[in-house]
Amino acid sequence: MSERDPRQALREFISHELLMDETVALNDEQELLLDGTIDSLGATRLVGYIERTWDIEVPPQHVTVENFRTIATMAGYVEERMVGGPRP
Amino acid sequence: MSKKMVYLLQQLVEDAADHNPDQLALVCRDSRLTYGQLEQRSNALAHVLIERGVERGDRVGVFANKSVDTGVAMYGIMAAGAAYVPLDPNSPPSRLAYVIQDCGIRHVIAEDRQLPAVAALERLGVRLDTVIGLTDADVAYPVIGWTEIGSRGEIPRRRVVEQDLCYVLYTSGSTGVPKGIMHTHRSALSWANVTASEYSIGDDDVLSNYAPIHFDLSTLDFFGGAKGRATVVMIPEEHMKLSASLASLLEQTQITLFYTVPLALVQLSTPGVLDGRDFSSLKRILFGGEPMPLKHLHSLMRKLPETRFFNVYGPTEVNGVTHYEVPGPPPVDGDALPIGMPYDNVEALVVDEEGRPVPQGMVGELAIRSATLMRGYWGRPDLNEGAFYFRDRFDELPEVFHRTGDLVHQDRDGVLHFHGRKDRQIKSRGYRVELDEVEAVLNTHTDVVEAAVYSVPTQDGTTEIHAAATLNRASPATASSLRSFLVETLPGYAVPTTLTVLEDFPRTTTGKIDRRRIAEATTAFSTSGERS
Repeated sequence: MSERDPRQALREFISHELLMDETVALNDEQELLLDGTIDSLGATRLVGYIERTWDIEVPPQHVTVENFRTIATMAGYVEERMVGGPRP
Repeated sequence: MSKKMVYLLQQLVEDAADHNPDQLALVCRDSRLTYGQLEQRSNALAHVLIERGVERGDRVGVFANKSVDTGVAMYGIMAAGAAYVPLDPNSPPSRLAYVIQDCGIRHVIAEDRQLPAVAALERLGVRLDTVIGLTDADVAYPVIGWTEIGSRGEIPRRRVVEQDLCYVLYTSGSTGVPKGIMHTHRSALSWANVTASEYSIGDDDVLSNYAPIHFDLSTLDFFGGAKGRATVVMIPEEHMKLSASLASLLEQTQITLFYTVPLALVQLSTPGVLDGRDFSSLKRILFGGEPMPLKHLHSLMRKLPETRFFNVYGPTEVNGVTHYEVPGPPPVDGDALPIGMPYDNVEALVVDEEGRPVPQGMVGELAIRSATLMRGYWGRPDLNEGAFYFRDRFDELPEVFHRTGDLVHQDRDGVLHFHGRKDRQIKSRGYRVELDEVEAVLNTHTDVVEAAVYSVPTQDGTTEIHAAATLNRASPATASSLRSFLVETLPGYAVPTTLTVLEDFPRTTTGKIDRRRIAEATTAFSTSGERS
């Protein structure tokens, strides 16, 4: 699983699991927190998904707007954590 | 020189600007407005609205995410003599179209971010005279951009009095369509006075604005803040959803009064979220909208020992009316928090089905008499008939109470305790949802024979909405397609968490749908991992 492209995987998780609508088209730069695509419960599920899929720990202080505002920033966060880079 | 009388809500902003125009009024993301700028910009907007034909008592929509412009829109609409009507950007276009048509809205203040939704309204056949706040919009509506509004002189004074409409908030209605709760300048100003006095709000305070403007919690922030000449920090939507960012914002902006819903406090109490931060500015935390889970309150109060905590109670119809200061971290297995004592200038009565006061200690419906009372429901004489309770006092001039529909008892010390609802209204993430509305909407689906919508308590003390439906023979509908249908009609917080298609519904002995047995059956079903 850890080989999966984070952008593609995150797009699928958000549309299939959070929105329960496979037809929804998500843009990687879309502001998902601002536009209501992801609510606070959705964010919690997303963190669990990231931890399971890429086998990384996401401490509460990393669950920030900077890291989670778009699919692109989430994927960037996952990639940095994969190489073990700390990110406040 | 005589002192100006303040009898309209926007005069609080004028008063604060007269007192100190450089005092910071609104902050949101990287934008900020002083009281002087807020007054100037809202007056300029009022000019444009008047030029566009807005009359006293008109309803003007505000269709925007949080930004300082939202504040300009609210006060500008009032300065034009009109009432603001929030349009929730997260609501489906069909619901917004209903609100716009029901409330007779002809002018809307929007922002570029809402352009796709504005275009969707146009496709739905919604007619509007003006949309303000869009630039280069590809819609047929006449559009005015913020930059075209600029700065203008004194606005023509209109004969507006405190009984005139100030804002209309739409909330869930049990017949399947939302209903508009009308507040006047008098009720809004009374609420500003209550909050500024009860919580000692002054110009050294920084209030949060957590709730979006379509949610009545926002009125304490804006109105109480303006009354106290305080600064209001609007918490961006993205920060509301991630507790680490919310904690960081609370610390950085040195918020002194944080008014929010229990869900936000539950998330802030998560281990690690508050650690290592300085909350010495945070003097009071107010929460309301639904009961607060004690376990999380206990942990939060231990982490913030210098902060005072208040449970605030009041339906949108009467604003806030009672509160309870939590004396210390509550026992985690104790009784639910009381809703407390009425504020000054509020009378609370507990009445039975026939409207007779019940003996002290007995459970009955809470009725409220206060200056913060709404005028009524917009265009709904049927609802207005049941919303009020009249106590004969003087011949033909009875005293008017609002029947809240909330069941309470009053203890020996006069403290009120909440016992649930008379009807099927619940709270989902702090928002009011009539389960009958969700059921009515589901029943409008062509393939649905019968629908049952009910609430299920969760382990962390919140409430989930669940639904079940029976379908026409050979219907192609599935749980997933029914859910999509609801998403197109209802706001997100009212969409059921689970939806199950059943062959048939269990019945009570009198033949009614037995929602309790459906809930038992489908909850067992969903915990076995087959959530639909």
